[in-house]
Amino acid sequence: MNREQGAAPAGSGSPTWWIVFTKELHELWIGGRALTLLLIYSLLLGIQTYVLASNSELSLIPPNEMVYETLKGAIAVGIFISLIIGADMISGERERATLEGLLLTPTNRRQIILGKFLAAASPWPAALAIAIPYMTVLGQGDAVLRPAILWGALIGTVLAPAFTALGMLISYWCNTNKTSLFISLGVYILMLLPAQLPGRAQTGAAGSLLQQVNPMASHAHYLSKVLVNNRTFDEFWGWLVAPAAFAVLVFVLLFLYAGPGMSLEASKAFALRLGRARAQVAALLVGLLALGAMPLLAQQTGGAQASGQTLPLTIDIDLGYKTVKTTDHVLFNTVVTNTGTEASPPLSVAMNIINLNAKGDVVDPEDWSPQRTQYMEQLGPGQTATQSWRVNAILDGDYMVYIVLLPAPSGPEATSHPVSSSGVHLTVTPFTKLNPRGVLPYAIGGPLLVLVGIVLIYRMRRRRIDMGGSE
Amino acid sequence: MEQKTRQVLIAEDLRKSYGPRPALRGLSFSLHAGRILGFLGPNGAGKTTAIRILTTILEPSSGRFLVDGVGSDRPEEIRRRIGVLPESLGFPKNMTGTELVTYFGRLYGLSAAAAKAKAATMVEAVGLQARGRSLIGSYSRGMRQRLGIARALVNDPAVVFLDEPTLGLDPQGQQELLKLVTWIARERNAGVVLCSHQLPEVESICDDVVILNTGQVVVQGPVAEIIGSADQATVRIQVPATAVAEAEVALAGTSAVARVAASGSAGWLRVELVSGSQAAMNGQHVHNKLLDALIRAKIPVLGFQAGGGRLQDLFLQITQGAIE
Repeated sequence: MNREQGAAPAGSGSPTWWIVFTKELHELWIGGRALTLLLIYSLLLGIQTYVLASNSELSLIPPNEMVYETLKGAIAVGIFISLIIGADMISGERERATLEGLLLTPTNRRQIILGKFLAAASPWPAALAIAIPYMTVLGQGDAVLRPAILWGALIGTVLAPAFTALGMLISYWCNTNKTSLFISLGVYILMLLPAQLPGRAQTGAAGSLLQQVNPMASHAHYLSKVLVNNRTFDEFWGWLVAPAAFAVLVFVLLFLYAGPGMSLEASKAFALRLGRARAQVAALLVGLLALGAMPLLAQQTGGAQASGQTLPLTIDIDLGYKTVKTTDHVLFNTVVTNTGTEASPPLSVAMNIINLNAKGDVVDPEDWSPQRTQYMEQLGPGQTATQSWRVNAILDGDYMVYIVLLPAPSGPEATSHPVSSSGVHLTVTPFTKLNPRGVLPYAIGGPLLVLVGIVLIYRMRRRRIDMGGSE
Repeated sequence: MEQKTRQVLIAEDLRKSYGPRPALRGLSFSLHAGRILGFLGPNGAGKTTAIRILTTILEPSSGRFLVDGVGSDRPEEIRRRIGVLPESLGFPKNMTGTELVTYFGRLYGLSAAAAKAKAATMVEAVGLQARGRSLIGSYSRGMRQRLGIARALVNDPAVVFLDEPTLGLDPQGQQELLKLVTWIARERNAGVVLCSHQLPEVESICDDVVILNTGQVVVQGPVAEIIGSADQATVRIQVPATAVAEAEVALAGTSAVARVAASGSAGWLRVELVSGSQAAMNGQHVHNKLLDALIRAKIPVLGFQAGGGRLQDLFLQITQGAIE
């Protein structure tokens, strides 16, 4: 048999990224890794759903909070799956000695990276689809479901691929899978950690900056404000800057720097590419950090504008309106700021609740909140103080909650000007409860469906191949 | 026949340093279509570096090379013209052999249908047609090596690089693989660069040889010529381990023997003959004299290897026993 002389044809088939993508997709899904991870994910989601439904009976958690918690969990685990799949993509090939074969082909390295990236990001849509039934059952028809799915899809579709790209970058810089996975896990935990800090650590200036530049914390904060506290995109869009900036940074690094430099050994690839790119990467990082901090700067600018008022004190509230069921509770924060150049007098901060229905019962705030009034010492120039409030929805009806800031008068013959926050419009509906037994079919059915998918794919694969043993 | 003499690989003064340490110090050689070149050297001689440069995985510090007329400044074009079986090539376990070769065919620019047809041909050519639809995870090492060759041939390369293709194979597997290597050169008219530490196999199938030591070429040329130039004044004789000392005495008393030394623990003796004794006494006669001395001393002869005439002797001579 004589070989046909001449070089392999150039460009007569499909583009490289597509060929690599379909092969990696096959490896990931038919090989079973993606489905196994999704099975674990659906089990976790099922357990969380059941626990939330049980707690909703005991702790009276409102549906929108349960939907938010489920979505937050789905995004966090979806991101983790994307990260660890990405973390295997290059170092795994190095470790399994399959990368050399790929590098020996006359293909564009960036296209190889693109194909691998698209395949590694593919489990996210499935993860989101699995989460939707759980959110639906926990939402109990609440209007929060639609925005939750919309924001979950939007934010997750930015963050999950971004974390896939981050995993691939780490993988690009590692020779072994163990190192790559270990570093990826470390980065993930580091990003998750700020959300676990005590409340005060999160609300200080440093804590707030940390939250805003951390894509994991900032997207969760945004979702909580929009889904739980009924705040708007216009008010909190700044919290989405960090996730977007993070995504841009990792995509640029992966496709512009790592892609063309992919080589057999990680250390050389890293030294070569990073050596050339150091200045550009540093500039990009500084730019993105500034972008991430933008919401904080905007907030401070907003405070400065308020200094034009007569009294150099402002009080802001982080909730506009909310609909809850009777026996639910509402949590919100107020921030008092001294925008003046001198220290303030001692301050009292008091809560008021007004029934908007003229024929309704008179509200006794003692029954509705354990915190009627909070006191504080002087507030220095430019200083802020945050107060947390809890309101228990005792009776159904239409209410307005507002907070008044009262500077202490300078003496018996002096007075002071109270400053009021904007109101929280509270709509309390009659009591209903979610039966956790009704949630069980979903909690069990989700993982079962994924399991059936695994079995079906395995059987289909068996039909197409020989299952013979070794020679 | 003209095509058979076409030069498909020319290396000109290739050098490579890792920091201050030179790994390759001026490698020059050429390979003709249809011929097999044995690429030899002890560990650390620079073989892997040379192969990685010639397959465009590494860039040389200086020098250049041409593959089928294409210069080393066009690595992507070179990759279209070479096929490589690296020493430690991994395979995705969840693909079948045919799927893998099809995948690589597509990466070389073939359409899906053409790649599938090509994969079927290649899998059959390397004798894997019965297991082409089996998962690679179920393949033996020999089958994986054959699959690696099918993958390396999917683009009809002008030059094929095979790095230790028989490593870890049983004798039958080695024989089958060597037949395949010969087929690549003779039937497909590709130039083959064969890296191996198995010197008898290189000697049996290679036309030419390049021996590297400490990054430089120490010997190159046709195998037959190279072997002919080897020092033939050495003989290895095996006797029972308990009779080594006695045999040393018996052999040392023979007039043609310059030096006798025990070699290893299995009863082997290395006998250096007096320079020119083969010519004066006829080599065969000298060997008879040695055996005669042992027989007279009633020492059983368990093994006898005449020195020279083998690539291994030359290799050991040049590389000072580095491999052994």
